[in-house]
Amino acid sequence: MKKRDLTGFAFISPWLIGFAVFTAAPFLATIYLSFTRYNIVTPPVWVGSVNYRRLFTEDELFWKSLWITVKYALVAVPLGVVAGVALAMLLNLPLKGMALYRTLFYLPSIVPVVATTVVFVWLLNPQIGLVNAILQRFGVIGPAWLQDTKWAFWSLVFMSLWGVGGSMVIYIAGLKDIPAQLYEAAMIDGAGVLARTRHITLPMLSPVIFFNLVMGVIQAFQYFSQAYIMTQGGPENSTSFYALYLFYRAWRYMDMGYASAMSWVLFLIIMLVTGLIFRTHKKWVHYGG
Amino acid sequence: MGESNNDSGTWKAVALLAGAVLLFACAGSFSRAEAKRAHPERIPVRFWHMWTAEWKVVVERICTRFNESQDRYEVIPLSVPPGNADAKFMLAVAGGDPPDVMAQWNQVIPNWAEAGLIVPLDELMQPEELQRFNAEAYPIVRKIGSYKNRLYGITTGLNIWACYYRPDHVRAAGLDPDHFPETMDELVQWEDKLVRFDAGKHLQRMAYQPGFYTLYPALYGGGFYDDATGRLQLNTPQNRAALEFLVERRSKFGFDEVVRFESGLNASYGMDWPFISGAYSIAVDGQWRVEQIAKFAPNLEYRTAPIPPPRGGKKHATWSCGNFMIVPSGAKQPQGALEFIKFWSGIANPERAGEFYTWGGWLPLSPAVAASSHYRKYLAEHPQFKVFLEILPSEDVQPTPPVPYQMFLWDRISQAEQSAVRGTLSPADALARLDREMTQELARRKELGHDD
Repeated sequence: MKKRDLTGFAFISPWLIGFAVFTAAPFLATIYLSFTRYNIVTPPVWVGSVNYRRLFTEDELFWKSLWITVKYALVAVPLGVVAGVALAMLLNLPLKGMALYRTLFYLPSIVPVVATTVVFVWLLNPQIGLVNAILQRFGVIGPAWLQDTKWAFWSLVFMSLWGVGGSMVIYIAGLKDIPAQLYEAAMIDGAGVLARTRHITLPMLSPVIFFNLVMGVIQAFQYFSQAYIMTQGGPENSTSFYALYLFYRAWRYMDMGYASAMSWVLFLIIMLVTGLIFRTHKKWVHYGG
Repeated sequence: MGESNNDSGTWKAVALLAGAVLLFACAGSFSRAEAKRAHPERIPVRFWHMWTAEWKVVVERICTRFNESQDRYEVIPLSVPPGNADAKFMLAVAGGDPPDVMAQWNQVIPNWAEAGLIVPLDELMQPEELQRFNAEAYPIVRKIGSYKNRLYGITTGLNIWACYYRPDHVRAAGLDPDHFPETMDELVQWEDKLVRFDAGKHLQRMAYQPGFYTLYPALYGGGFYDDATGRLQLNTPQNRAALEFLVERRSKFGFDEVVRFESGLNASYGMDWPFISGAYSIAVDGQWRVEQIAKFAPNLEYRTAPIPPPRGGKKHATWSCGNFMIVPSGAKQPQGALEFIKFWSGIANPERAGEFYTWGGWLPLSPAVAASSHYRKYLAEHPQFKVFLEILPSEDVQPTPPVPYQMFLWDRISQAEQSAVRGTLSPADALARLDREMTQELARRKELGHDD
């Protein structure tokens, strides 16, 4: 190895060491731990495939939390993409004061999750919350939101739109990259707004949509903080997301082996879903030029 | 020239790396530095607790008193956020740098004892101290702190729940506040007369806020654990009857209506307690409310009474929990920790400790603490507190089952309660599900080699 290479490695060594010690090693250790009984204090005891077998065959809450998480990924991610793209297109219009609007729409996404979540707990309070107060003005008696098994999950989906400003900025950057001559040519050919959106904007934006979709799906499968703060998985496990259940198994019940098995199932699911999205991307993602 | 540049680059990189390592080392040494100590010459006893706000002040007062009484140890308290405290504690023990003593209120003793996270206190105590503790402490104190006949926790404040009621509401409803219901049937009659609806037929005032499910099975002669066999007993007629009573308190007004009514109430501490604002006429709550009412609503007229049992049920039977002290494995100063525990709990000096219990509105460790001059004065000033003290010695006050999967069991019981009181499942079905879930969990644990 050349000295120049050594210099490079020396510069990135803090990150490399951090990655090896705090990410790679625990990641690999969980493979072994998932086949053990382990409580972090006493040494792990090898138990074979018991954790996986019990997980798949007897743990109703595992399947329920997996379904809740899949449902969230299926609903909240596309919803976030649609809202993000729509907002970006609106905020890409050549109107006065647009920079201010973009800032305003982006601001919520830089507010810490915990602060946003606590505010939403109040907004969604059925008796004294702002959401139901507005609904009442239109003669609608709002539901009990976070306390209602039918509405708690949808409340979290609804709340996810609050942070759409983060992806919106990336979409705006993508829109700016679309060559203006494509629109000019289309307009000369008589294409209307819808046709231009359908045949120019969306295809040219598809690499950005693809990126946000992949990241959104991965984040959806790791959804934790909001449910942990707002509902703790309730009422009646209606918001028991996978990562939340995994956390409880690990830190509340000190069942690290079982939680490790759950984490590997989650990892494989994320890999599978991401792989599927990658496999389909050639059909709908268009790289300009 | 190029070689020389490379050399210089390598040295710069090495220097940078060395700088970074130095920085980390400094950060490490800074993080280990304790806050400025009042008695640096003494042996430090690091104490973790989870109290915040007004409670933290009380805890720190007790620590100060301990430090004033000492010439050997200095207790250094640290308030750890309750949400992360358990995980932090486990990691600290696993990492070999735990505190010397921790105050807990979560159901952790069996689980942590089984995992070797905490040490038996009876090993640290002198035989005569242990003997005195076993002879003097209230039965529930011993039950809460013990696992497999070893003492792992010593309580510094017990919690008992009872009925708080508003004589003004009672009189206005044409009832006699001097004759609080003695059976659940009578309580239901009061409920019908005390409840209020607004013009839109929505609940305006609930007559009876029953608290939570685990308080009730003992009143019916039930419970979740059989001490004699060491086995769980979940889906029993007594436990079903208790859950049915709780469900009826909601179903008669409509499950959704009660959820909606309660979600608008901020049931936190201090002035926000809905009983103070008059949202409830009778509310089941813990003894610490006496102290809170004295602080935040000193002019409120209220009284207390035990939760009435069903006809033929048990009086003074309930579930209890408490704040207790544990000593982690690997504690550097276990004897200093024990000194502090004895000081606060009253094992060392009941007369002195009586005052600490009154600061937090806590129930005492033993009749000797209850007989202390401070505690008697407190009772004279707050006669409502006596009801809790009367319940305390009862053998029918039950702890959470002392099993190493206590947290899991607790969560599953809570799920069964939720499903029943929301009307998703009947009480019988909710308890049948609980039974099934626990049977599966026990089978899983057995297969994993746990010795339950």
